[in-house]
Amino acid sequence: MKGFYLLICCILVMFLSLNLKSEGAIVSDDCEACHAIYPGMMEEVALAKSKYKYLLDDSLCVDCHSSSDNATIKILGGIKVPIVHNTLPPVKQLAGGNFYYVTKDDRKGHNLGRIVSMDKKFKGFPPGYDRKADLSTIGYNPEKPLTCSGSNGCHGNRNVANPFEAIRGSHHAKDKPIDGTTTAKSYRFLKGVKGYEDDEWNQNASAKKHNEYTSDIDKLCANCHGKFYKKDFTGEQSPWFAHPTDIFLPDKGEYAKYLKYDPDVPVARQKVFSSPSEEVKPGEDKVTCLSCHVAHGSQYDSLLRWDYDNIYAHEGNKKGCLMCHTRKQD
Amino acid sequence: MSYKKTRLIYIIILLFIIVCSSVNGQVKGRCKDCHTMHYSYEGEEVTYGNQKGPFPVLTKGGCIGCHGQNPSGTENIVVIGKTRIPQVLHNMENGDLAGGNFYYVADGYNPDYTKGHNVKGISLQEYPPKNVPPGFIGGILIPGGTNPSYWPSTQQLSCAGTYGCHGNRTIENPYKSIYGAHHEKDTIIDGETVGKSYRFLFGIVGKEHEDWEYQATNSNHNGYKGSNHYDSINTISYLCGECHAKFHAHPNLGGINAVSLNGITWTGHPADVGFDFVHGGFVGSEYQGYTTYNLEAPVAFENPTGKEKIIDENSIVMCLSCHKAHASNYLHILRWDYSKISTETPGQGCLICHTKKVGK
Repeated sequence: MKGFYLLICCILVMFLSLNLKSEGAIVSDDCEACHAIYPGMMEEVALAKSKYKYLLDDSLCVDCHSSSDNATIKILGGIKVPIVHNTLPPVKQLAGGNFYYVTKDDRKGHNLGRIVSMDKKFKGFPPGYDRKADLSTIGYNPEKPLTCSGSNGCHGNRNVANPFEAIRGSHHAKDKPIDGTTTAKSYRFLKGVKGYEDDEWNQNASAKKHNEYTSDIDKLCANCHGKFYKKDFTGEQSPWFAHPTDIFLPDKGEYAKYLKYDPDVPVARQKVFSSPSEEVKPGEDKVTCLSCHVAHGSQYDSLLRWDYDNIYAHEGNKKGCLMCHTRKQD
Repeated sequence: MSYKKTRLIYIIILLFIIVCSSVNGQVKGRCKDCHTMHYSYEGEEVTYGNQKGPFPVLTKGGCIGCHGQNPSGTENIVVIGKTRIPQVLHNMENGDLAGGNFYYVADGYNPDYTKGHNVKGISLQEYPPKNVPPGFIGGILIPGGTNPSYWPSTQQLSCAGTYGCHGNRTIENPYKSIYGAHHEKDTIIDGETVGKSYRFLFGIVGKEHEDWEYQATNSNHNGYKGSNHYDSINTISYLCGECHAKFHAHPNLGGINAVSLNGITWTGHPADVGFDFVHGGFVGSEYQGYTTYNLEAPVAFENPTGKEKIIDENSIVMCLSCHKAHASNYLHILRWDYSKISTETPGQGCLICHTKKVGK
């Protein structure tokens, strides 16, 4: 009988754990697992000098989501934490890529201030920045470093300058459904962005198991790289003047042959999928910035998903650009 | 080695050669050699030559950016990776390719507009009355449709499209008109598509010399398509006639009366006319004296191979027998200095065909 009760208890614990994890919120009551892993984080500061009780800023994001080894998911307080910055070459990097690469080469990632110094070439100006396209009421400030969140970052509320305040509370908030109404209810805490989140951040992505993007992600990129998104720069239709984004993958010609989803060349969906689909539907699915780029950093220049220097047309290659531009495979 | 094995090896080698040679025209190599995704490299705009972008089809400089990469440079064929790009605008001595060289009319390089076509991006529009093509007739039949009804006086010539030569001339946008041709398999030049047309001149057929006639010989050259009977629209001279219709006797174009009196006496130099068509017959005519293919006065053939060395009654006079397509160092894009051609210069210019005018 004792064994029966034990079994019931175990099942209840498992159910609760799964249920809570499915909410996406951090469920552990082990506060220190996240809030005191680095010296100084839990130091109390005078409330008069700071809005926050503890000395927390952008470094918390990086410190928590970094790893000194090459694993891209770590367990902290019983919770899976996606790693965006490994100090060793990452193995099975996640969907956003890895800031490891920008520590080696400016051209291979976003120069997050907490990780690397300002880009020597761009000197703080996001390529293609157009203030009119930046929906943040504050706007990007090139004098300040790129941050994870806030008006100089990508995550959280970009109408807030302080990176911590911009995302504050999201890890503890109800995060379903992902409808973009709050930071917590936004895809990967990118406020306003909708999408489907793979439970392993694409670590084991396949045609059947992967993130699902919507065009919201392009609009987010456009905040800082607006020129590359604007139709008066890219053109309205073929022949394009620059590679278009947020356009339907044509359902004719060479594009009509991209039919099976490849996580290395993702497309965006018109509506939020409740589960991943292995099907690509030309004419319905869209080309997205993330079709070619990753968000954080990659081993290739311009944060590309592949080595553009080594994509050859008509020489039997089938990957990279040629996943969509199938005619050039032969 | 047995006979069978030897034969098999020969067949394999032959197949290999055929396969290698048959895909020559399709551009190969790195995407980045010709295209830039965002007209940006390390935060800077990517400009080519004097051209400022962004450029259509994400190209690095559009047509001229690729085919006129360095007007003052000395390369007539630029090699990038596995891609060989013929230059139509360069300054290589004795390096002009079959179409000629826009260098002679290029703004910024001491241009002489009488020596070539004034293509947008290279030269300003020609002054009236040559702001419209001499001999233009609107609404005539061209491959894929019809010519525009008229040529607007402010419309400058472009590389391709309705107001150009290359690509599908029923499509006005130059880039749309040639879209995809560089990536098309062009094993067979049958004129069915732009990619499968001679030099992407839609509807025109012929044999393309692999080096665009650089260092061509009298038995290895471009093979131009001609027609002796004015019954086809796939000849190189018909293409010229699409804009200069009144100089061509094809009934779709100027018609026989445009260049002759009752089809007997020429009032304008004929094109697409075979040596066997000459008044009085080929035998005994002066054209019989033109016996070996001469790159200075090329002729066309009904079924060109690019290997023709013998000139005979089947050889066909064409526009390109006297002119180049782009520009030359001579007035009217001629292949020679017409002012210096006289009966005392045998074997040169006009006299390559008109052999009996020598010494008289």
